[in-house]
Amino acid sequence: MKLLNFPRPFLPVFALICRLALAIIFFYAGIEKAINPIDFAVAIYNYRLLPDYAINFVAVFLPYLEIIIAISFIIGINVRGAALLSTLLFLTFAIALTINLARGLDISCGCFGATSGNINWFYLVRDFFLFCISLIVLFYDRGWRYFFD
Amino acid sequence: MMSTKYLSQKIYSSFIELIIILATALLIAIIFNSIRSNYIPLFGFSSAAIIKEQQAKIPTITLSEAYDLYLKNKIIFIDARDPFSFEEGHITGAINIYPDEAPLQAQSLKVKAKQGFVFATYCDGPQCPLSKETAHALTLRGISTVKVFVNGWSVWLNAGYPVSKGKK
Repeated sequence: MKLLNFPRPFLPVFALICRLALAIIFFYAGIEKAINPIDFAVAIYNYRLLPDYAINFVAVFLPYLEIIIAISFIIGINVRGAALLSTLLFLTFAIALTINLARGLDISCGCFGATSGNINWFYLVRDFFLFCISLIVLFYDRGWRYFFD
Repeated sequence: MMSTKYLSQKIYSSFIELIIILATALLIAIIFNSIRSNYIPLFGFSSAAIIKEQQAKIPTITLSEAYDLYLKNKIIFIDARDPFSFEEGHITGAINIYPDEAPLQAQSLKVKAKQGFVFATYCDGPQCPLSKETAHALTLRGISTVKVFVNGWSVWLNAGYPVSKGKK
């Protein structure tokens, strides 16, 4: 096995780093949420955006979605789909955060499980940053094959 | 013309991948949720129950009541402080449950609750929030016999009742 296209050209390598960073973030966030579905459901409820019947479903589904996205990113299969989902997720989180920051609600972020800190503008900036990283992965990732012969 | 076709194919395959991921995650979520011990119903979230639980005041327990139950071996003390403080000294027989860890311990405590034990959470200082947080987290998980032993550590220590050091 030979190493190809490394460390240049720049963009695919940068996209690879972004992809792996996202994988770690999603994996950690997913596990933290999956451990405690009840608390996460309460965190979602506190956002006051979803109807009651949808809250539990999101609380059960979202953690595993994040874990599957992380696994896709690490293994390098379905990367474009995962990146697209990740982009959409960060966009959704950004909207939810913005609405509640504008409302002035002092609620738990729920970003990395229910015990993560209360929402503030920094979280929105962080979310936007991750959104940009997802876009880079979406457009420039070339998969593992590109680097190994 | 060629590039538009290539692009549309790319978009199409991305959507297929997206659907594959969604379906896999959904399947795994449903399976894991149904086999795990802290299972929650997929639909239906009772916000009324949550609000009620959040507002519910957790009862407190006084030193004499606690000591009385301690002598009868009917109480389990829960030290809600950090593990270091716990190691430096805690009520004899207490278990260390920091608020974050409460969900992990809830299942085993439920068994004890059924055996008729009362739980008293404590930390150090009259304003210390940890004992209330642990008590709240346990109550939320259906353990009804949790009480807060306000300023428990200092009160117990001053009374000269049994304390231990170390991890156990």
